[in-house]
Amino acid sequence: MDGFKERLNDSVQVRLSVTLSLAILIVAALAGFFAFFSAINETHEMQDETLRQVAILFDRQKMTLHYPVVEQVAGDDEESRVIVQYLADSTKASGSDDATTPLPFPTGLADGFSTLSVAGENFRVLVRTIASGERIVVAQEADVREKEARKSAWRSLLPFLILFPVLLLVVSDLVRKLFRPIATLSEEIDQRDEQALHPIDENHLPTEIRPFVVAINRLLTRVAQSMETQRRFIADAAHELRSPMTALSLQAERLSAIEMSAAAHQRLLPLTQGIERSRKLIDQLLALATAQSSAERSQGSVSVHDIYRRVLEDLLPLAERRHIDIGVESFEDVQVVGNEVDLLILVRNLVDNAIRYTPVGGRVDLAVEMAGESVILEVKDSGPGISAEEQLLVFDPFYRSLGTDESGSGLGLAIVKAIADRMGARLRLSFSDEKNKSGLCVSVWLKRAR
Amino acid sequence: MRILLVEDDSMIGDAIQGALNDASYATDWVKNGLIALAALETHVYDLVLLDLGLPGKDGLDVLDGIRGRNNPVPLLIITARDSLDDRLRGLDGGADDYLLKPFAMAELLARIRAVLRRKGGTAHSRLDNGEVSLDLLSKQASTADNPDVQLSNREFALLQALLIRPGTILSRSELEERIYGWGNEVESNAVEFLIHALRRKLGNHIIKNVRGMGWMVSKNA
Repeated sequence: MDGFKERLNDSVQVRLSVTLSLAILIVAALAGFFAFFSAINETHEMQDETLRQVAILFDRQKMTLHYPVVEQVAGDDEESRVIVQYLADSTKASGSDDATTPLPFPTGLADGFSTLSVAGENFRVLVRTIASGERIVVAQEADVREKEARKSAWRSLLPFLILFPVLLLVVSDLVRKLFRPIATLSEEIDQRDEQALHPIDENHLPTEIRPFVVAINRLLTRVAQSMETQRRFIADAAHELRSPMTALSLQAERLSAIEMSAAAHQRLLPLTQGIERSRKLIDQLLALATAQSSAERSQGSVSVHDIYRRVLEDLLPLAERRHIDIGVESFEDVQVVGNEVDLLILVRNLVDNAIRYTPVGGRVDLAVEMAGESVILEVKDSGPGISAEEQLLVFDPFYRSLGTDESGSGLGLAIVKAIADRMGARLRLSFSDEKNKSGLCVSVWLKRAR
Repeated sequence: MRILLVEDDSMIGDAIQGALNDASYATDWVKNGLIALAALETHVYDLVLLDLGLPGKDGLDVLDGIRGRNNPVPLLIITARDSLDDRLRGLDGGADDYLLKPFAMAELLARIRAVLRRKGGTAHSRLDNGEVSLDLLSKQASTADNPDVQLSNREFALLQALLIRPGTILSRSELEERIYGWGNEVESNAVEFLIHALRRKLGNHIIKNVRGMGWMVSKNA
C-alpha cells in the first residue's frame, strides 16, 4: 500500500490514471443511480397509463361486467392480470383469495390512483366513475409492477456496466500513449555511450516537456564543451612538451657523439632511455587524446593485411631485439569498414603490447577471420596472459600489471579501447592457451566492407 | 653545403645547429619567417630546414613565400604538428619532406642527405641499407663478410626490389611482379629459390622472412 502511495505521489502517469478512473467511477455511479430510479418511475407511469387506458376503454365501449367462473385462459397469468370490477361489487367478494373476482375493495375509495392491500396482496388501483354513473375499479397486483419496474431499471444500468470498464481501459491506454515519448526519450538517453553528447531531438516531444529537454540540451552542450576543453588541454600539453623533448633528445645525441670515458658513456645510456620513454609517453598521450576526441573521421574500406604489414614493418626491430617470432597466421585478406589511421593505431598498440609482455624467445601471431557480417582481428601472444579479475582494469589509463618490469606507457590498451568504442567495435580478452590459462589473445570485432 | 635553419625554439635550434656543424654543414639559424625570407633573398642555400610554428609569420606562409618567388631550394619541414592536414599542406605547398618532432638527429641527417640526393638529380648507382649494398651497374652485392658478389639477373632484381625501400615488407606476388616481366610464365617457388640463393651468397641474416607476410631487408641507418 505504501508502495502504491509512493507511486501515486511520484508518478504523474499513475496519478492521472487513478484520478481519471475515480472521476469516471463517480460520474458513472451518479448517472447509474439517476438512470435506475428514473427507469423505475417511468415504468410505473407507463403501467398507470395502461390502467387508465383500460378504464377509458371500458367507459367508451359501454361495457358491462359479469363475473363468470372460467377455466384457465391461454396466455393468462394470474400474477400480472388486470382486474376490472364495479366498486359496488366489492361487497359480493366470495373469499379472502385474490384468484376470483370480484375482490373486496373498500367501497369508500375516491376516484384516482391508490395503492392498497386487498386479500393479502398489494394492488395498484384506479377508481373511475363512468358515464352510467357507476364506479369501476381497474387494478393490478403491485408486486408484478414492481418486479417489471426493477427489471427495466436494471436493464437501463447495463450500458454503464459495459462502458465503465471499457472507458477505464481506454483512459489507461491513452495515458500510457501520451507518456510514451518520455519513456522513449529516457531510453534513448540511457543507451547513449559517454561520448555521445549531441543534443536530444526535441521536435516530436509534447510542448510540456520541451523546455525541460531544451535545458538538458544546454547542459549537454556545456558538458561537451568542457570535455572538449579537457581533451584539448591534454593534447596541447603533450604537444607543447614535444619541443623541449626534441631539444633534450638532440642534445643527448650530440653528447653521445663526443669522446668520453666509458663510465660517462654508461651513465648516458639510462638518460637516453629515459628521454626515449618520455617521448613515447607523450606520443601515446597525444594518440589517446586524438582517439577520444569527437572529431569526425573519414570512413572507408581498409585492408587488414595492409594494416598488419605496416605494423609489422614498424615493430619488427623491437620483435627482433626480443627474439620474438612474429607473423601473420591467416592467408586470406579481408576488407573492413573504418578509418585507416585509427585502425593502424589500434593494431599497432595491440602488437606492441604483445611483443613487450611476451618473454624473450616467445611468439606473437596476428590473424583475421570472417564471421558473417563481422570480421574478427586477433592478436595472440605466448606471454603470461591477463587474469579474469584484471581484464576489466587493463583498459584504464596508466594501469600496469603487477610484476611486469616493462617500460610501457600504460596507455596502449586505453587507446585501443577509445578507438574501439568510437568505431563501435567489440573487444574481448581471453587466453590464447585456454587449457594452461596463459598467453593473451585480444579479439576485435569489426564491420566487414562490401 | 650551406643550410638555413628556421626555428624559434632556442633549445632545439641550438641542438640542431650544433649537430649540423658536427656533420660539417655550414648553418645559418634564424628565428622568424620574415628574417628567413630576407636571408633567402640575399644568400644562396643548399637546403632549408623549416619549423611550422613560427612567431609573426607561420611556417606554411614562409613556404608559400619561398615557392612563390620560384626559389627551388630543397626544403624540409620539421614540426610538432602531426595532423594529416598540416602534413598534406606542407608537401603540397612544395616541401620536399616532412619530419615530425621529436626526431633523432641521425634521422634528420639521413633525410637531409636523401633530399639533397633527390634534388641534386645525381642518379645514385648504389642502394644501401647499412648491411648490404648493391651496385646497380655491375649488379654486384657487398656485405661486410662477402664483398663484391656477382648476382644473376633475377637475384639482382629481387634484391633491388627489397633495397629500394629497406624495412618494407614485400609479399610473394609483389616480388614476382618485380622479377618477371609482363607475360612471363611465373615458376612456382621461384621467389623461395632466389632468396635461398641470395642467402647462401650473402649470409642468412640479410633477407628476413616475416611469417605470413613476405620478405624484407632491415632498415638500420
